[in-house]
Amino acid sequence: MTLVLGIETSCDETAAAVVEDGRSVLSSVVSSQIDLHARFGGVVPEVASRAHVELITPVVAEALVEAGVELTDLDAVAACHGPGLAGALLVGVSAAKALALAADLPYVGVNHLEAHLHAAWLAEPDLAPPLAVLIVSGGHTMTVAMEAHGRYRVIGQTVDDAAGEAFDKVARHLGLGYPGGPVIDRLARDGDATAVRFPRAMPGEADFSFAGLKTAVVNHHRKHPEAPVADVAASFQEAVVDQLVAKLLAAADDAGAPVLAIGGGVAANSRLRAKVAAAAEATGRGVFLPPPELCTDNGAMIAATAWWRLRSDGPTPLDAGADPNLRLG
Amino acid sequence: MLAIDTATAQVSVAFGDQGAVLGEVRLAGGRRHAEQLAPAIDYLRRELDIGLGHLAAIAVGTGPGLFTGLRVGVTTAKVMAQALRIPVVGIPSLDLVAYPLRHGDRMIVAVLDARRREVFAARYRPVPGGVQRVSDYAVHAPAELVADLSAEPDLEPHGLLLAGDGVARFPEEFGALEHAELAGSEFGAPSVGALVALATARAEREEFELPAELRPLYLRRSDAEIAWGDRAAAG
Ligand SMILES: [Zn+2]
Repeated sequence: MTLVLGIETSCDETAAAVVEDGRSVLSSVVSSQIDLHARFGGVVPEVASRAHVELITPVVAEALVEAGVELTDLDAVAACHGPGLAGALLVGVSAAKALALAADLPYVGVNHLEAHLHAAWLAEPDLAPPLAVLIVSGGHTMTVAMEAHGRYRVIGQTVDDAAGEAFDKVARHLGLGYPGGPVIDRLARDGDATAVRFPRAMPGEADFSFAGLKTAVVNHHRKHPEAPVADVAASFQEAVVDQLVAKLLAAADDAGAPVLAIGGGVAANSRLRAKVAAAAEATGRGVFLPPPELCTDNGAMIAATAWWRLRSDGPTPLDAGADPNLRLG
Repeated sequence: MLAIDTATAQVSVAFGDQGAVLGEVRLAGGRRHAEQLAPAIDYLRRELDIGLGHLAAIAVGTGPGLFTGLRVGVTTAKVMAQALRIPVVGIPSLDLVAYPLRHGDRMIVAVLDARRREVFAARYRPVPGGVQRVSDYAVHAPAELVADLSAEPDLEPHGLLLAGDGVARFPEEFGALEHAELAGSEFGAPSVGALVALATARAEREEFELPAELRPLYLRRSDAEIAWGDRAAAG
């Protein structure tokens, strides 16, 4: 039995978790800073970094207590070391190294994107690659062919905004507040998704684009301020989801993957989950939709990935820093 | 005691015992705090053959200084202290610039680079056994600090002693100051020897901080908060 503590501070969640053997979550503590950033309408890096410093000790302590383990029971300490906000990443990396030094444990630096891919194993331990995975959040939008643990091929990615960013920007424009994803998801349930036909960007290509869609929604709202907001929100969400699903299917074709999976904060969107499930069924594929708490940023996915990384590559040296632009693969 | 300061481009680590430094590592100028701090602690503990489990306290310079460096140092100190269940002592890094210059009768001005053409500064008077701070910790434009110091009536007869990397960063501004001597570059970064001495004294008085409550001395709000505050004030 191998116990890993995973720390995640790449954006606006301060999170820590203890995971056994890369699959079983003993504890997962997530302290969200949404309220801190809401008044700015988005994540402010300096505000996020300061909050991580304040939250890191209570979050780590709680993760250990909830798991019922002592630091000395652990086999490794891991932190997300990129991609993400530079100042925010350094808090988690410094904390993990401090714990590794204090308890004489190996340190493992984990790629945030790889962690989103591995979140699926926490809910479905017997899942087997190859998978086609859509990672979609406020910071990322990409499709990945996961051929094996540690072997990934990025098939498509956004050429402008991330999908979650588009949700935030449109929500702000429609006066719906921050964060945009959950509020649009909720509102869209009472709206007509066919009311406005917004563009589905870059058909036939692997990459994503959301900037044109955002502009189309803003222009429509200007021209038709009387249009019911729920209809506009539902129509916008439908255009985003259609694009996401189309690219995921294209990636699955490209990769020859019999199973679809999703991860990242936007993977909690109820319409996306329904349409990915329907698309899998229509194309005779398996589908795996992790529960929302494993889709959004968390420490458990970091700990799980570290377990796989430890087996394939061993620990990360203590002189490794963080890389805000770290890539997958 | 383990002592850490990362308020400037330099990473400094020392182990101390009863106020005296047992060994010290200084890595100058790299601004690679997150890469260098943990290996420096690891190296020094091995060289000195100190088990971290035997530490009685951890001391850290809390700034003001480079935000990124401070976060690495403060996070490392508080997380390690919590893990080892030992107290943590935070001492402002400007105090650690002034303390090594206590043997004299001049007023000491500690000045650290704050980026964006500003400096963090505080003034100190030598007193028996140390220094006493006689101003707030503040952020200034260099010319503004020089003007403040020039206007100070009680500088005479002993004059001023300026130290810290902010002085070397703005040689023209600070060089123009009368009755002032600029301390050498060896006084550019906060001293971890001073940190061991000052934190040991604080620990003896049991003036600890809870790891969860330890935070850097930023002195500046984040840009977003400043912009938001201005917007709110403008209505
Ligand atoms: Zn994420």
